[in-house]
This record gives sequence, structure tokens and C-alpha cells, in this order.
Amino acid sequence: MARNLLSIRHLNPDQIEELLTLGREFKQWVVEGKEIARLNRVVGQLFFENSTRTRVSFEQAAHYLGLKSVNFSTTGSSLKKGETLKDTILTLRYERLNGLVMRHPSSGAPALAARYFPGPVLNAGDGRHEHPTQALADALTIRERKGSLEGLTVAIVGDVEHSRVARSNAWLMAKMGANVRFVGPRTLMPAHSGLLPGDVFYDLESGIKDADVIIALRLQRERMSDGLIGSIGEYARQYQINRDKLRYAAPDVLLLHPGPINRGIELDDAAADGEQSVITAQVENGIFVRMAALYWCFYEPEPPKPAPKSRAKKVKA
Amino acid sequence: MRTLLKNGRILDPSQDLDVIGHIMIEDDQIAAMGPDIPSDDVDDIYDCTGLWICPGLVDPHVHLREPGREDEETIVSGTQAAAAGGFTTICCMPNTWPPLDNPSLVDFILDRAASPEAGGVFVAPVGALTVGMRGEQIADLAAMKRAGIVAASDEEFPIQSSFIMQKAMETCVQVDLPIMAHCEDLSLSNGGAMNEGAMSAVLGVKGIPRSAEEIMVMRNCLLSLHTGCQLHVMRVSTWGAIEMIRQAKYLGAPVTCEVSPQHFVFTEEHVGEFDTHFKMLPPLRTQVDIDIMLQALQEGTIDVISSDHSPHASHKTQAPFEDAPFGQVGLESIVGVTLTHLTHRGILTPLETIRKLSTKPAQILRLDAGTLKPGETPIAQITVIDPGFEWTFDVNKTFSRSRNSPFHGMTLKGRSVLTFSGSEIYRDRHFSDDRITMVT
Repeated sequence: MARNLLSIRHLNPDQIEELLTLGREFKQWVVEGKEIARLNRVVGQLFFENSTRTRVSFEQAAHYLGLKSVNFSTTGSSLKKGETLKDTILTLRYERLNGLVMRHPSSGAPALAARYFPGPVLNAGDGRHEHPTQALADALTIRERKGSLEGLTVAIVGDVEHSRVARSNAWLMAKMGANVRFVGPRTLMPAHSGLLPGDVFYDLESGIKDADVIIALRLQRERMSDGLIGSIGEYARQYQINRDKLRYAAPDVLLLHPGPINRGIELDDAAADGEQSVITAQVENGIFVRMAALYWCFYEPEPPKPAPKSRAKKVKA
Repeated sequence: MRTLLKNGRILDPSQDLDVIGHIMIEDDQIAAMGPDIPSDDVDDIYDCTGLWICPGLVDPHVHLREPGREDEETIVSGTQAAAAGGFTTICCMPNTWPPLDNPSLVDFILDRAASPEAGGVFVAPVGALTVGMRGEQIADLAAMKRAGIVAASDEEFPIQSSFIMQKAMETCVQVDLPIMAHCEDLSLSNGGAMNEGAMSAVLGVKGIPRSAEEIMVMRNCLLSLHTGCQLHVMRVSTWGAIEMIRQAKYLGAPVTCEVSPQHFVFTEEHVGEFDTHFKMLPPLRTQVDIDIMLQALQEGTIDVISSDHSPHASHKTQAPFEDAPFGQVGLESIVGVTLTHLTHRGILTPLETIRKLSTKPAQILRLDAGTLKPGETPIAQITVIDPGFEWTFDVNKTFSRSRNSPFHGMTLKGRSVLTFSGSEIYRDRHFSDDRITMVT
């Protein structure tokens, strides 16, 4: 029985734990060079939006699991000819793909795909909604260093409004017992954050005060032409994580960034390359949690349902 | 030919009438109405015991999609849906392709609506306010009025320039046409797909702030006040917009407004997991807005309940939320939904319900409809409603060509069962045959 990974919001702590444990195990196996049973399935890698790192990471994960990847990107697809997403998904279904990894610029698109695709659908980032495997990679990276997420203060800094990484991380950290803070300017913060699991801070110093973890978000340069921030320089002055600002956080703070980094904007070199930075570990762990996600989706550990005995009874009666 | 509607509850808001009685239709006219009408020489008798007899319902806000999107709705299918929903007069919106911005298209629509296969309801076209609904150059409103439009509107492409809107209003005063305005500041809504609120923050869907609606309602009300142009604000959704309209009325501006059932039944939370059937324009708001809306319906600040019937092909609604179109089909559910959510809950009396569904929209758009007074309508327009009938709305069993409805599967109480426009144009299968006596 297959299942989907569409969002962290819908997972319970046990499921998150399962995924993180699987990720840790896969990491061990890969590092030790152990043989991993081949899944022998075909996974479509559907990228309706440019992505390098997530795509490479998913392909690596599939490679280690012995899954065959089939690539599908907008440039080579029929979408430009006006095909609807539903028709694309149905086509791939009857191309006998077993699972889909999907990135899409529109929030909720993978959920729509899952309605027309019988096998697992994994969200590799949808609009501003969620990016579940990035949050899992971040959580694994933090757990390797802090042991647990319980009780940690996690500050998510930057363009929260437009960030799927912020949403997935907030849900994951909160569900696993961390205190989440959203830090950023009002123009880049959701106008109504009441249903999101975290407290909002509009200034950096108080937002990252005593934080155990800082997740810095990428600032898209378009935000300036959209009129959401005055200037990149002013933004950097107020919200850049750098050597000085890191002093407000806990001494053993971990600094994360989903990449790609705008050096000199959201991070300075000292922070990005400093000893608190775990950014490269995030990238590597991305592979292992994506292995976990693929495995978890293809093999739900629930025991198979017993054969339909009761039906025979009914016929008799 | 004499037809007697016997022993029903006659609700005629145009005469503030709420009595049990009979109505006699002679040929295609209402001949008599009252508690004692001799039933001799009658051809057909419809027993309306326990039912409401109302003036034919009037929907000022319907999208018939023809010309241009005949796969979604046609004038024939749309008027059939209207008749089945209890309507005898509907206004069709100009956002067709090509847009309804010239007299020849008005002629086309009126011809189609009068064709024998159409539903038999009156179609009163609403013309585009500007050429191509581009908000630049005022359309030839005088010529379109001569051809038969009853109002002007740029519908989903609201005029952004206050200057153009002011000139449009002055023109409409000149040619004596009301403006129906969808109020939205596009620089604020800017590609948004749902209410900007707690739900849009969670779903990561770009929001439409309430101020996008309220600013335009306020602007249009002020322009109406200063130009004297009659303004009908379409589909109000926020408490702030309602407050603006209340103020405008207080100041004496010739302003009226409408709501659509989805806005007093659903909130942003119904969007759930990106359900495109709950993608509305303006977007579904919050419970606070509904509470104020119900109050405004009760006190009369909201004049009209319209369906905002917006058919869309299913391939458009089976799309990512942000790509899906706004709107829902509503002609065949509006009576059930309104009675269930307003009348049976005591928010509106039966008479006030019918006023908002018939008399008031007819008065606002100066249509010969919305009354049972003999001779006030060209032919007898009557709708019979079974207020207690419980049913489940199944959008797959409607006359509309489209299937996009958030009300699908809802249990409703109340349904229109008979529609007369001169003669019977629709009889529901739930109007039992036992109720009809054919005297020959």
C-alpha cells in the first residue's frame, strides 16, 4: 500500500519520527557502504520549476535505493502545448510510473496530482505551501547535533510569507516539541499568522535571542521590485545573520540555510562558513531523508490486510 | 384557458401581501387574486396547499457564457436552469467572448433567449461599461440601451481609473442606466486566489485582502454620491464593504447591493485542502463577515440575493488552486440554500426572502417583474415554492452545462416546484401529480 508525502502539516509526530529514524539508518548504511535492497520501481521526477539541488538530491536518493528515475521537466514536456496538469499526470500514470516526485510553482499542485495518480506522490516543493523533505533534512541535521528537537528554540528568519521551507520547518519543529519563532519584516510576514505554529518577531535581535537554531531563508531579489522591501542593503542591515548578530543567539547555535545562499544578503561569509554553520551537512542529509521519504511512501509498514474472508461468509448468509 | 393556483400562501412583497388564497391565470395574465375566487370554468387546478405562491424570481447576476464558451453554458441551457430554479427573469453578464459591448450582440442574446428551445424566462442583458471591458473608453451605452440592456457593468474587470469610472457614471446618468459594479482594487488583489487570512497563510496561497474590495466599494459609493449615478454593488463579501454601503445609503447615495449564498454559507476554512469549488470572487471570508452579513440582510442594507451563476468547464476546476477560475453555478440551488440558511433560521421572513429574490432586484433594474399585481408584468410571472421540501442538491442533475458547485451534496430544505411565465415553463417532479386537476 502506497502513501503520499504532500506536507509536514498532515503528519503526526510518530510519522515524523519514523521518517527521521529511517533517514538516520539510510545514512549509516550508505556511509558504511552496505547493500540496500533494490526497490525496483520507476519514479518520475517532475519539475515544473527550476531546481538543481532538490532534483540532484532526489536522483541521488533514488540511485541509492535502486529506483529508476525518469525525468520530466517543463521545457521538454507537453505543458507548453496547453496540456492540463491532470492530463499530464494521467499520461504518466499510464506510462506505468510507480511514483512521482513533484515540484510545482502552484501551492497544492502535488495534492491535485495525488488525486489522479495511484502510486506515491512526494512533494518536492509546491508554491509557497510546503517543502517537506527540506524540513526533514534540516531536522535530521539538528538532531545529529542536539540529540532532540524537544525544547529547542528555532528561529526562522527572512521572507516567511513566500517560503515553503519556512512553513514545512515550522510544522515539523513545532510538532516535535520545539519553540518556533518567525523573524522578518512585516512586508515579508503573512498578514494573519494565527494558524501557523510560531510566534512572530519583527526585529532580528529579539527574534534570535538565545535561539538554539537559526534557519535563514533565501531572499528573492524580485522582492525589491515588488515593493516589499526598500533595498537589499537595508534588508541586509536589519536581517542579515552575521558574526555580530550571532552573539544574540545561544553560544552553541546551529545556523541552517536551505540554499542557494545569497552571500552578503541573508548571510555574511563569516556566518555561512563559520563553525556554527551546518549548511553543507543539510545538503548531504537531504539525500538520506529523501531516501527515507521514498522508502516510507512505497512501503507503509502497516501489515497487509487479511484476505477477504468475510465476503465468503456474506455470500453464504 | 383558465388556470387556478389554489390555496397557497401568497407572498407578494410589492404589495406587502402575505395571505392564504388563490390566483387565477387567464390566458397568460393574472386575472384575479384573493381568498374567494370562483373556480368554475377552470381548465387546470394546481393545488398549492402548504406552498408559497410568489412573483417569479429575478436574478440580476447570471453568466450565460454564450457567445464564446458554449461548452460551459448556453443561453438555452442557462435559461432552462433558471426556470428550474424558480426564476422568470435573469440578467446576463457582459463578460462573454466577444464581450457584450455593442447593440448587435444584445440583439443576438435577446433572439436566442426568445427561441422556443430556451427556458422561457426573460433575459435582460447587462452591457459592458467600457469597450472590450478594458476600462478605457466608454461603450456605446445609449445604443445598447435602445437594443435592450438594463444596466452596465465591467464585471470581473473592474474599472481601476477613478476618472474613467466617474465619466462612466456621468454617462449612465445621461442615458439613465444603473451601473452594476464588481468592486476590486486589482493592485491589492494582484493575482490572489483566496481571502488573505489565517488559511491563506497556512496553505501558502496568495491572498486577496479585504481592503481590495472595501476601497473600491468606498470609491464607487462616493462617485455615485457625487454624480447621482445609480450604483448596484455586486456580491459583497466583507463587513467593511457592508459598512461602506450602509454609510453611502445614509448619505443618500443611490446605492444598492447584493450578496450571493456562498458568501453567507461558507468561510475561508471551506477551502480546506485546495478545493477549487470554494474558490470565489470575492473570496470566501470569515465568520465575522457572515455574522455582519446576516444582520445587514435582516435590516435591509443588503437589498438582493443573487446567484452569481458562473459555470466553468470541469477541466478548469480540476486544476491547481491558483490556476482554477473563480465562481460556481447557483441558479438551481439558490432557493434551497437561501431558505435553509436564512428563512428557516428566522433571519428573513418568507416575505422578505421573496423581496430579496424577486421584487427588489426588479425594482433596482426597473424590470417589469417582481410583482403579482395584475397588469404590472407583460405576462403572468409566478413561482411556486415548497418551503418544507427536504432534498439533497446533486449538481449532476441540473440543467446547467457545468458542474462546479460548492453546494453539491448538501441537504437543503425548500425548493421551487413550479414556474409560470405566461404558462407553465417548469414543473418539478416533486410537485406531485395528485396536486393537479385537469378539468376538461
